[in-house]
Amino acid sequence: MTRYTMAIDLDSCIGCHSCAVVCKQENNVGLGTFYSKVLTIGPSGTYPDLEMYYLPVACQHCDNPECVNVCPTGASYKREDGIVLVDHAKCVGCQLCVMACPYGVRTYDEAKDKGVIEKCTLCAHLVDDGKVPACVRHCPGQARLFGDADDPDSDVSKMIAKKQTHKLTDVGNKPSVTFGLDKCEWKGGE
Amino acid sequence: MAVQWPLLIFSVLLGASSGILVFLGIGEIKGVFKKVRFPLAVCALALLAVGGCASALHLGHIDRAFYILGNVNSAFSHELFAVGFAAVVALVYAVLSRKDYPGALKVLGILGLIAGIVLPLVAGFTYLMPARPAWDSFTLPLMYLGTGLGLGFVLSAALTCQMGDEDDASFALRLALAGVVCSIVTTLAYVAWIAMAPHQAPSRSIGLLLSGGLALEFWVGVVLLGIVAPAALGVLALRKAGSSPTGGAPAVATAGAEGGSGAGAAVAAGTKTAAGYLWASLACLVVGNVVLRMIMYAVATSVESLIY
Repeated sequence: MTRYTMAIDLDSCIGCHSCAVVCKQENNVGLGTFYSKVLTIGPSGTYPDLEMYYLPVACQHCDNPECVNVCPTGASYKREDGIVLVDHAKCVGCQLCVMACPYGVRTYDEAKDKGVIEKCTLCAHLVDDGKVPACVRHCPGQARLFGDADDPDSDVSKMIAKKQTHKLTDVGNKPSVTFGLDKCEWKGGE
Repeated sequence: MAVQWPLLIFSVLLGASSGILVFLGIGEIKGVFKKVRFPLAVCALALLAVGGCASALHLGHIDRAFYILGNVNSAFSHELFAVGFAAVVALVYAVLSRKDYPGALKVLGILGLIAGIVLPLVAGFTYLMPARPAWDSFTLPLMYLGTGLGLGFVLSAALTCQMGDEDDASFALRLALAGVVCSIVTTLAYVAWIAMAPHQAPSRSIGLLLSGGLALEFWVGVVLLGIVAPAALGVLALRKAGSSPTGGAPAVATAGAEGGSGAGAAVAAGTKTAAGYLWASLACLVVGNVVLRMIMYAVATSVESLIY
């Protein structure tokens, strides 16, 4: 069964923010709203033994998305291929999903399509066309990988197999995005 | 998280409405509060309606409300069902209470009592989210129930005393005090949860309440106005009406039985004074409830808020 997700090689991420910029272009994300951001983690340690890495964050397309569970209208839904989306035509803008998301990656949009919830779509429109998400295509460090987590030959599975992997704090939602980090100490919750 | 005022107002009004329904239900079981059951039922209905309108302001697209039952498993949908049930019970009860239908009113009173207990619990369960550790405990719906009982019982008892129903005043006052005790116990239980919640962080620690950025709100709003003042005023009201909080023979009833006009006037005056104390207690409880919920939102930070 197909389970689309993303794996991000943090050792290859150069913190250029291209993914965040191209995401806004591809998805026409409104001013002040982001589907994806790049956080700077650190520097940590004691001089001269300092380390720092970049952490690109967006919707984690969780296996058990709490945002979907709390949505009263069914506007937030998970596709069979694992991508979590919001059907804007059904969204009443109650913001329960924003409260239920552990990562603060959903936003109540008051700019582009007023009164609905916005978030990373994993560029489902491109995926359905046989392409990869815009952030994956445009990552100059090739840090972002997209594919089927259940396919051992996918780029995602290969990265997971060869690196030390981490996920964001799991409070029962089972985030699907995997972060690979060998060169620094992971500072996240899990 | 920023205070969600429409939801905050909804939860306070919903709590008061639920408390009134429980009060009326107890009254039906005991066969009392006949003079006040109509105004109280209307009050419960009005509070629910105003609260519902307030909560609708939180929605970005009220025009799509038709979709709200699209996921009947969501806590929000359960809340909507509970509100609808309570509103229908309150409405039918209010209509029937204008006439004397003892059997039907008793059944409706018990249904109202059930709705009054279930509704705040269901509303509170909507906020149980693992992403927000300060909310993710049964103490939150319990706090919604307890504070609702406090608000509803004190409001109902105040109205009972205000309308000069001396026969029922003693029992109403004792219920009011019981409601305040429920409010205090569940408030403290929720505050204790904030201290014990998993994934502790400075943004949602108990230290914020005790001596940090939320100390003023906590000590003045929650402790002084939400706990100490309502309890003190409730006890004063009970004493003024001539009854003791330990459940001694109610002097209101005793004096009423003596039938002396002087004693009767004194009882009436005592009951009216007690009503004054209860209105003051209600005002303190409302402020306490609002501040407690402001704190509830303030400490509802996510386990990892990464973008927003």
